[in-house]
Amino acid sequence: MFASVFPQLIGLCTGALLLTSALMVWRHSLLASIRLLSVQGFALAALVAVIGVEEREAEVIIVSVLVVLVKGMALPWVLAHETRATTRTDEAPRLNPTAGLLTVALLTILSYVVASRLLSGDTSISAHAAPIGLAMVLIGFLLLVTRRQAGSQLIGFLVLDNGIATVAFLTSGGVPLFLELGISLDVLLVVVILYVFAGRMRNKFGNTDIDQLRKLHD
Amino acid sequence: MTPVEAGMLGQVALLAAAVTTALLVPSDRWRSRVSGILCALLATGGVVTGAIALTGGRGSLTIPTALPLDPLVLSPDRLGGLVMVIVSVVGVLASLFGIGSARVASASRTAWASMAVFLFGMQLVPAATDVVSFLLLWEIMTLGSTALLLAHHATRGTVASALVWYSAMSQLSFFFVLAGLAVLAGATGGTGFAALATLDPASWQASLAFVLLLLGFGGKAELVPLHVWVPRVLPEAPGHVAAAMSGAMVNIGVYGALLVCVRFLPNGPAWWGVLIMVLGGVSALYGILQASVASNLKVLLAYSTTENMGLVFLGLGASVLLRGDHATGAADAALLAALLLMVSHAVFKATLFLGAGAVARSTREMNLDRLGGLGSRMPWTAAAFGASALGAAALPVTSGFVAEWMLLQALVHGSRVGGEVVSVTASVAMPLAVAVIALTAGLALLTFVKAYGIAFLARPRSEKAKQAREVPIIMRIPLIIGATVVIGLGLLPGPLAEALASAVGPAFTPDVRTIGLAGVDARGIDVVLDPTTFVALAVLALAPVLAAILVSSRRHPTRVSALPWAGGGSRLRPRMQYTATSYAEPLVRVFDDVLRPTRDVEVTHVGESRYLVERVHVEQTVSDVIETRFYRPVLDLAQRFGILARRAQNGSIHRYLSYSFLALLAVLIVVSL
Repeated sequence: MFASVFPQLIGLCTGALLLTSALMVWRHSLLASIRLLSVQGFALAALVAVIGVEEREAEVIIVSVLVVLVKGMALPWVLAHETRATTRTDEAPRLNPTAGLLTVALLTILSYVVASRLLSGDTSISAHAAPIGLAMVLIGFLLLVTRRQAGSQLIGFLVLDNGIATVAFLTSGGVPLFLELGISLDVLLVVVILYVFAGRMRNKFGNTDIDQLRKLHD
Repeated sequence: MTPVEAGMLGQVALLAAAVTTALLVPSDRWRSRVSGILCALLATGGVVTGAIALTGGRGSLTIPTALPLDPLVLSPDRLGGLVMVIVSVVGVLASLFGIGSARVASASRTAWASMAVFLFGMQLVPAATDVVSFLLLWEIMTLGSTALLLAHHATRGTVASALVWYSAMSQLSFFFVLAGLAVLAGATGGTGFAALATLDPASWQASLAFVLLLLGFGGKAELVPLHVWVPRVLPEAPGHVAAAMSGAMVNIGVYGALLVCVRFLPNGPAWWGVLIMVLGGVSALYGILQASVASNLKVLLAYSTTENMGLVFLGLGASVLLRGDHATGAADAALLAALLLMVSHAVFKATLFLGAGAVARSTREMNLDRLGGLGSRMPWTAAAFGASALGAAALPVTSGFVAEWMLLQALVHGSRVGGEVVSVTASVAMPLAVAVIALTAGLALLTFVKAYGIAFLARPRSEKAKQAREVPIIMRIPLIIGATVVIGLGLLPGPLAEALASAVGPAFTPDVRTIGLAGVDARGIDVVLDPTTFVALAVLALAPVLAAILVSSRRHPTRVSALPWAGGGSRLRPRMQYTATSYAEPLVRVFDDVLRPTRDVEVTHVGESRYLVERVHVEQTVSDVIETRFYRPVLDLAQRFGILARRAQNGSIHRYLSYSFLALLAVLIVVSL
């Protein structure tokens, strides 16, 4: 019974991942983006759980729980806590929403083209969904390039990381627990450090617009 | 374990000891003594190892690596042994001199530690038998010398800019050497020197590698146009460091060129020889012209190195050209002349720089225009400097004379073999080369008459020169040894030439014999030179005359002599003497187009009068034409490009992120195409 639902469940989860990523490009509010990030974390966890059930591996299920805890709850909570405490202004991105969504569409097409070349031999369902992961990496990068506030940059970075995780889960059928644990802790640490850094920036300059950090050149 | 292996391991151990003590000994004075002695021992180890290798001793140190290359093997052959001996002898002299002369910055921890590293690198480069170890030791040598010079940057502001030039030029020549060796290794598929020698010299890879290696090694040998660091760096270095750099390090450049022409790619096409000759001839002429008008003693000596190395390359080029034309006798003689010149240059230039170091220590003045009268105040230094200046001016009975004589003989006999013209190229190139050497020799004579005459003779031109005192004995010893070797090699050319001839084997076997009283007989071109016999005959002939003069001078009472035109009084003032600048003035006028001096004459009149002059201030500077005409435009272009590049790097994180994003997209698009 599960085998017939499996492709639809994979499609649902990856669709949620892509949708949340695209919505993050559209929304300017930092808090909304954080909520979307949380949803994305849950979608990723669901994807991992589906793969775990399909492959009947308990370890992958544990990984999915870990993903819920870190990406679905811990990270968004840290971000939201800090943002509510400090941010007064919304993001003013360098790209307007319409152009942003068009770019997302183009990036998604590009990733499908690239993946069709790279994974042409692989006909499994999860490999079929892998381009979504690549698209998320590109969208994360797009967020990094177009957002001004340090907080939004961080969200872009996390989307990028989610994209990498998605590709890893879909193409290799699950990542070993220790590896996933290490990566999650790394990301958590990076986020905490960047948030401390953003707090220092705000104390010093009154805002976190990284456009003002221009002294770092010869 | 063979003696050569023991010698190389001993050098490693002495390097470790020298660096450790240089870092640990707290007082400057004791550090100079202990480290100086250890450096001298390290260099002595090089002399012994090199001498054993030169006489046919073998031994190798193999260093295992994880690289997919041939193993690193240090195993000096005869030629390597010869170069090791030469650089180590200079190293011994420089270290001994350093014990006495090193002060403040040059006695610092950095200076002594890097001196040991520098000497070690130089001594073991000739032992390398594969590309990787050669380049590794080459870089150790370069970095050692750079750090050695860097030790002085705190005391003088000009050191920094000189060092930038030095580093840039060293890295440029390293790049050329690396590229050349890479081409050779790529074409032959091995990194051992034996593998590199299997390439056919007629192939295009061989020609490309040859040009690159010639530029690289020429840069180390201070040839034009890579010489621009020389007149900047050597005047900043203390005497013993300059001696080690100019007397020893340049020989590594020559060794590299010899490797190319004797070991890797013997029997190259004729145009290689012409190219080397042109490079050498231009360097010789340009170097001696600049030296002849320089008024800073160390700048003069530095440019003179360019000249001598030019002559060495001229000889090497002639040998390549003549070998291609099957004039083997003359080719061997030219190669031998290049080696003789390398040996004699190492000794006399080291001694000259040590002499300059002694003068600098006693007077703190390097401008010849303010020196003078040091001959009576510093007799030992004056004698040693004088003997070496004779060598540098290629006058008999010094080693410099033997070398230039051999070079001229080879060139004169080169264009014809048995009355037949060997080739059109040779019959044009040889007379031209003779003309270049003749002009160079004449200018060298003028230059060293100036260097010795203005600095050591006449009256002191400044208070500092007047108060000069002879240097301590530990500094006199290397000066005397150096001067003795200069004269000794000039008197014993036969054994020296035989040793040099054995060093270039087995590929080439120059036919030279010892004849008469240690004279040299170059049988390939049928010429003989026996200076010892000549000197002995001259002494025999002159002894009665001298005796007669002595006897007659005893009989007559001593006369009081006074300068007639001074009206009996001795009112000759130091300002009335020739200075270095005025001595070189005719030369500057003759070679005005090449030297392009800038003159600044400032006349101050007395009151309103146009006819009465209160004082005249004349200033003349000769800049390096190659630097101003060739390097400046290139640097300016690079600067303009740098300003453009800065616009792309404005410090915005977004911009840097966009660059990576675009790069990633480009890669993806290329992949999907």
